[in-house]
Amino acid sequence: MFEQLVDGIFWKISLWVFAIGVLWRILSIFRVRNKPDYSEPRGSGLAGAIGANLRRFMPRSEMISRTRLQVVAGYLFHLGLFALLVFAAPHVLFIEAQTGLGWTPMPYWAFIVSAQLAFIGLMLLWFHRIMHPVTRLISDADDHIAAILTFIVMLTGCMALIEEFNGLRVLHRFTVELWLVYFPFSRLMHAFMFIPSRAFTGAWFGRRGVKA
Amino acid sequence: MSDNLERGLEAMRGQMDTSVMSYMSTCVHCGICADACLFYTETGDARYTPIYKTEPLRKLWRQEYTFWGKLAASMGLTKKLTEQDLADWEELVYDGCTMCSRCSLVCPVGIDIAYMIRKVKEGLSAAGYSPGDLVEAGKRAVEIGSPMGVTLKTLEATIRVQEKETGLKVPLDVEGADYLCLLSSGEIAGFPEFIGSLAKIFKATGVSWTISSDYFEATNTGVQLGNSKMAATLVERVVAAAEKLKVKYVISPECGHAYSTIRWDAPNFIGRPLPFKVVHIMELLDELRSDGRLKTEGFAEEKLSYHDPCNAGRRGGVLDQPRNLMNMVAPDFVELPETGAMNWCCGGGGGVSSNERANELRLKVFSAKKRQLDAVNIEGLVTACSNCRHMLEDGLEENEMYDVELLGITELIADHLVEEGG
Amino acid sequence: MSNNRQSRIRHHRMVVFSLLSLLVLTLVLPLIPYAVADLGQSAGKVVNPGADLWREVRQRDRSVIGSTQVKGVDSGVLINVYGEDWRQFRMQRLIPYGAALMGIVLSVILLFYLVRGPLRLQGGPSGKKIQRFTVFERTTHWFTVSVFWLLALTGLVLLYGRFVLIPLLGAEGFGMTASACKEAHNLFGPMFLVAILMLFVTFVKDNFYARGDITWLLKGGGLLGGGHVSAGRFNAGEKIWFWIAVLGGIVLCVSGLILDFAVFGQGREVMELSHVMHGIVALIVITVSFGHIYLGTAGVEGTIDSMTTGYVDEAWAKSHHDRWYAEVKAAAVEDSETEPAGGGSASTGVASPTRDG
Repeated sequence: MFEQLVDGIFWKISLWVFAIGVLWRILSIFRVRNKPDYSEPRGSGLAGAIGANLRRFMPRSEMISRTRLQVVAGYLFHLGLFALLVFAAPHVLFIEAQTGLGWTPMPYWAFIVSAQLAFIGLMLLWFHRIMHPVTRLISDADDHIAAILTFIVMLTGCMALIEEFNGLRVLHRFTVELWLVYFPFSRLMHAFMFIPSRAFTGAWFGRRGVKA
Repeated sequence: MSDNLERGLEAMRGQMDTSVMSYMSTCVHCGICADACLFYTETGDARYTPIYKTEPLRKLWRQEYTFWGKLAASMGLTKKLTEQDLADWEELVYDGCTMCSRCSLVCPVGIDIAYMIRKVKEGLSAAGYSPGDLVEAGKRAVEIGSPMGVTLKTLEATIRVQEKETGLKVPLDVEGADYLCLLSSGEIAGFPEFIGSLAKIFKATGVSWTISSDYFEATNTGVQLGNSKMAATLVERVVAAAEKLKVKYVISPECGHAYSTIRWDAPNFIGRPLPFKVVHIMELLDELRSDGRLKTEGFAEEKLSYHDPCNAGRRGGVLDQPRNLMNMVAPDFVELPETGAMNWCCGGGGGVSSNERANELRLKVFSAKKRQLDAVNIEGLVTACSNCRHMLEDGLEENEMYDVELLGITELIADHLVEEGG
Repeated sequence: MSNNRQSRIRHHRMVVFSLLSLLVLTLVLPLIPYAVADLGQSAGKVVNPGADLWREVRQRDRSVIGSTQVKGVDSGVLINVYGEDWRQFRMQRLIPYGAALMGIVLSVILLFYLVRGPLRLQGGPSGKKIQRFTVFERTTHWFTVSVFWLLALTGLVLLYGRFVLIPLLGAEGFGMTASACKEAHNLFGPMFLVAILMLFVTFVKDNFYARGDITWLLKGGGLLGGGHVSAGRFNAGEKIWFWIAVLGGIVLCVSGLILDFAVFGQGREVMELSHVMHGIVALIVITVSFGHIYLGTAGVEGTIDSMTTGYVDEAWAKSHHDRWYAEVKAAAVEDSETEPAGGGSASTGVASPTRDG
């Protein structure tokens, strides 16, 4: 019964909530307009917007020594998660079955290593969050739920690895559905919002001729 | 709701724009901004975390601009922004932030935090929660024309002294001159040799310039307070003076926020493009250098370094010019570690040095600057902002660092001008 | 002590007692049917007619390696003679003795807590705090804790699950649970290596033998009365735990990697040996961790703060780690006395208070 719901209507609902929710959140920032800038630019705002989006994937050298754990764990988590989401064989097959789009998955050992690196990154980041006085002050429930929910999705996926028990597969899919529904209302939106934010800041500094 | 709170909320509502809406949806509370902010790194107090300083704006965004936030607030599930919040944030925002924007450069998801702190100031000042010293300075700026109370008489007296010392004329109210030079009260009072240096350099390079007796103040207390109306009023005076004298350019002197204000923010305060171009004095000097008009001889004897004023460099974009100028007179000058756009703030900008309540704090966080200086063995530190200079002097004295001399870049260039005649 | 405090302590003790009893019973009770089955073993057995033949084939002394067309590890071995020994060891020794070990140690700790009570801070807290662990040290510790406990719990399910969980979940349900636990255990295993290495590098420098360690041990660390015992940043007990955790952890990782990645030519015998080491060391480390957890939480007042906030009360420091406390205080005095060099040499004393990543 539960399995049919998870594979059926829950999946549809979660996908729609995710898609409409994300679109809504992105478009809603334009409800209030930016005022026009009458100053004479020194550099290109557009170049700044694009530049900032690319440059901020790398931390500034001055900051690396101060934020080493977050930089390392942050990369481990994001890159590992991206790899396993997009290139793990079970996911590639799933996406192909859903959309018809397929591509070459990575070898099994790479899947395992990506997952381990992603776990290490996520766990280090979460413990750092609750240990560091700054993040202790500014973190809220949303931050913790997002981290823990992502962890649970990853863990249920890991538990279903040998693809032998349908119950474990259903559990993983169910947690994914929870995650998708939670996404648009949460901190996880940063996965999309970083693009306009970096763009606005990059443009602001770019007009002034500063590489941001 | 109290009047104060309503005024504060209304002011902040007027500040909401697409950028803020985007930024508020993006922050993941990573805390990296704190590691870039000298008020956090030098005190260890997590409340100075830059994004934390924007709490009043974030709360407003949440309770009025988001679906779930509006719902939760109306059901009483979350605490709404209160007047006490504004009162509590005054010290964090005015004493514990110079709006240096270092945080804005390091946020991994691209949030311009200082941009938002500026908007929080609009709310706090409208609600009446700004430092008394700064409010008084603002009154003086509006009523007298200078936040420090420097009158035209004082300026004229200073000019006379400089004319005597240099043997040159300082042109006042010359209609049709190319360049109108503004001055900061801090310069007039503390470093008047800047005026003499200008006279020397402009004579040698043949620049047609003038100062306006109608309005000469470069600084803008409205910007430091976070009061756009005041900021606009002060900008209009510059525009009026420039239009009256029909100048092509306005020179922003050795001051940080004066430059970012008149060059970048001023048109937006008055809602129209400026009828003149704006240059920082360093931009002009560098132009003269590259044209071949500015010629210097000899080199500085002392080992020098350069301190980038935050609003001229990081926020203003005047980063290469000072280096070109330094190379003219001190080719072996050393860069501070973490320099240029990532330079550490002196700790006195954004109105902090005008706020006596913040004295202890700004001297405490000077340790960031001290760390930079300790890493280089220099005898002189050159800068291009009179407020930075005052702050650096205070900091060096407090730390008994008597071996480091402070120099203004314009004066340094003027001292090495090729001698006329013959 | 006020009445309020007394009743809170009593309540606390009752809760701890109940939880620990529950844990002990859960570990011990399932062994009863085993014991019963054991006793009834000899009655009414049917003899396998081929037993003699297969005994010959097995040839108890060692595995005979014959020739075969199939090329592969152990493919020439018809029956692995050590297999039954290994199985017997696992079922008759590892499982019951492990449960006994964990149960007894838990009970002893519980008893100790009820009788001796927590080690209170003499004279109460001073109210002044000093930093004991940085953000990085604490993050490393808790990261290691979480990976360890994920592995320990999944591992315990693999060892004890059939006794404890089949009654609860049924055979099918347990099959799924055990599979999930095995996958999680195998994935997190290599991560434990990373965690142990991080832990080692972070804490090793203060965990070497120092003068005073033997004395500390002989005095039982003051745990059994006898008052204050001198110690450095880490006392002898903590050092012993560090080395058990690290060395045990390395054995677990190596044996675990052998078991997890059975594609490098390991034969059955290597796997059996690895499994035996893995199981024994795991149970030992888990058991010792009970002591560590007890002393770090309920057992010694004021200790948990060191790993959660990073700061401890100065009175706590003076009482438990007096030599470390003295070093920290001396360094602080040195910092404040260092004259700021006038734009000259790099000052090491004036470090940013938050540069601990």
